[in-house]
Amino acid sequence: MNFELSQDHKVLRDSVRDFVEKEIKPLAIKIDEDHKIPEELIGKMSAMGLMGSYVPEEYEGAGLDMLSYAIVVEEVSKACGSSGVLISAHTSLACDPIYRFGTAEQKSKYLPDLATGRKIGCILLTEPDVGSDVSGMATMYRREGDEFVINGGKTFITNGACLGTGILFATHDKSLKHKGISAFIVDLKSPGVTILKNEKKMGIRGSYTTAFAFDDLRVPVANMLGQEGQGFKIAMETLNGGRIGIASQALGIAEGAFERALAYSKERKQFGAPICDLQAIQFKLADMYSRIEMSKLLVYKAAWMKDSKMNYAMESAMCKMCASETATYVTKEAVQIHGGYGYISDYEVERMYRDAKITEIYEGTNEVQRVVISKMLLA
Amino acid sequence: MKILICVKQVPDMESRFKPDNAGVWFSDTDLAFRMNEYDEYAVEQAVQLREQLGDAADLTVLSIGPDRIVEALKKALAMGCDRAVHIQDPAAALKDPWQIAAIIAAFAKDKGFDLIFTGLQSQDRGSAQVGVTVAERLGFACTTTLVGFAFADGVITAKRELEGGVKGVVKLRTPALVTCQLGLNVPRYPTLPNIMKSKKKELVTIPVADLLHEEALAVTARFYPPAKKGGGIVLEGDVGDMAEKLIAILKEKTNVLR
Ligand SMILES: Cc1cc2nc3c(=O)[nH]c(=O)nc-3n(C[C@H](O)[C@H](O)[C@H](O)COP(=O)(O)OP(=O)(O)OC[C@H]3O[C@@H](n4cnc5c(N)ncnc54)[C@H](O)[C@@H]3O)c2cc1C
Repeated sequence: MNFELSQDHKVLRDSVRDFVEKEIKPLAIKIDEDHKIPEELIGKMSAMGLMGSYVPEEYEGAGLDMLSYAIVVEEVSKACGSSGVLISAHTSLACDPIYRFGTAEQKSKYLPDLATGRKIGCILLTEPDVGSDVSGMATMYRREGDEFVINGGKTFITNGACLGTGILFATHDKSLKHKGISAFIVDLKSPGVTILKNEKKMGIRGSYTTAFAFDDLRVPVANMLGQEGQGFKIAMETLNGGRIGIASQALGIAEGAFERALAYSKERKQFGAPICDLQAIQFKLADMYSRIEMSKLLVYKAAWMKDSKMNYAMESAMCKMCASETATYVTKEAVQIHGGYGYISDYEVERMYRDAKITEIYEGTNEVQRVVISKMLLA
Repeated sequence: MKILICVKQVPDMESRFKPDNAGVWFSDTDLAFRMNEYDEYAVEQAVQLREQLGDAADLTVLSIGPDRIVEALKKALAMGCDRAVHIQDPAAALKDPWQIAAIIAAFAKDKGFDLIFTGLQSQDRGSAQVGVTVAERLGFACTTTLVGFAFADGVITAKRELEGGVKGVVKLRTPALVTCQLGLNVPRYPTLPNIMKSKKKELVTIPVADLLHEEALAVTARFYPPAKKGGGIVLEGDVGDMAEKLIAILKEKTNVLR
């Protein structure tokens, strides 16, 4: 048994870390304030290869493994949770299903643009009345000749306003529940697509969370992803892998907040000594670090299991649940260690606290993760 | 054009250094390592030269040390070097610059290298002797402290940094060795696709005993942290007084307020 990263993974981690330190970290406050990740930064992340880490080389990705991808999202999220989810939603929720379920033509048509960041990907599953229970989907499709015509709306779509390539889910008969759902690859610049709004949010403010309306959106028949009626299965399997991405984002946010809290506890003096001399602070640091390490082991294990072609459904649910709860816990304590300064934006831990919360909610709420885990335990 | 780049892996300079058991160097347990900063400039310059010359250039990167230094070699490969040579030596840290230079020269001899890039010095030992000694042993032309580099028609034009910001320009023919300084270039990040491609590049391992036939000329007798001093000057009084005192100190001890 070996818990050490390989030399190749260390080279990757250090390279991404250097990149993040110089290119992303200085922008993180502005990204939060502007509610936008600058195009220029997306360009740099793309040039660095961060948008296609585990897309195979034949589709212009880097061809690395899932563990490399987890490390990328983790390192980026240490500095900026918004940039972390940009990469995670794009890779896990758009590139991944196309690679896994797409035809040869679909892969060569869509993956190169995605893997190089020329287009940003997203998944369109959630609707105003459809959250944890996807089977009640109301967005409808019907076939007309060589096209599918889609009507309805989606909400809370990460990366939506980038108007790149979307994996859109719709039903042709609501009464069929999940059996009626199919998946489509759509170009969000097509006629019939309207942005209703970009949500204002508690955290990850640099990440777009977009509501769309579809009014006779026409999609070529060739753009159905997988078989007709296979949409629910595609969604569930996609979210399975995606949870590793969100867990990595949560892990990174926790580590970013911890680094700051540790440094601050050594610098800040009260009662004539650094506050890290106080046992109250020391115990917080010990708890925070232990939970981070626990989450990291689970995240890396889930990634390793996916790389090893093992069934990782339970591990991905556990790592998402643990890492996200670690992130909310650690960021909360990081604010506390900073005292009043923790509440002030310049110190960044308040942003991390806000950013952390969403990781307990999206890609399956933690309640849903517990349902998934316990179902498997009791099966 | 055959180019050799010599790199060293050094501890992250923000590490806390502790003496090793023998008290002659730092202990390397619990340290994070990375490529020596000056060597990154050397690798970058070599890769830029290859971009200029195209396939006519062939870049070999070399490093001496224990297995962990392969990470530095892999980084150089991912930045664009073509092949790597790991001279395996678990005790490299105990060798003096003369021996390190002798190992590199023994490797490079008769291999037909036209140009060797090294860092100006290592961030940990800081002798600044290895590059120039390699040049001497190979009979190469040599110049140091590069902040600018150009190559045309077999002639290198090197801009050097001299004391107090003064610059000098040196021209030299190949075969030559140059040592690189901060300001020469901005090293590129190894991109993910290039990290992947580098996994397929050649990496040769050579035991140090095959190349080292020199005794040390100098040994490090002791390695120790500086004695703890008091924590600087603490100014007291009201803000106005403190500002006056600070200005006086800055005027007396520095040239920022002249
Ligand atoms: C910032 C942001 C980005 C998002 N990005 C995307 C995206 O890119 N694409 C996309 O399709 N969606 C996206 N979503 C939607 C997200 O995945 C859903 O919000 C999430 O799945 C929960 O659905 P809901 O909000 O409808 O909550 P609900 O499902 O209504 O849940 C409400 C509460 O009930 C609990 N609950 C529900 N069912 C159960 C159950 N069976 N057992 C126990 N408890 C249960 C939940 O855990 C929760 O506490 C995003 C959401 C946000 C806020």
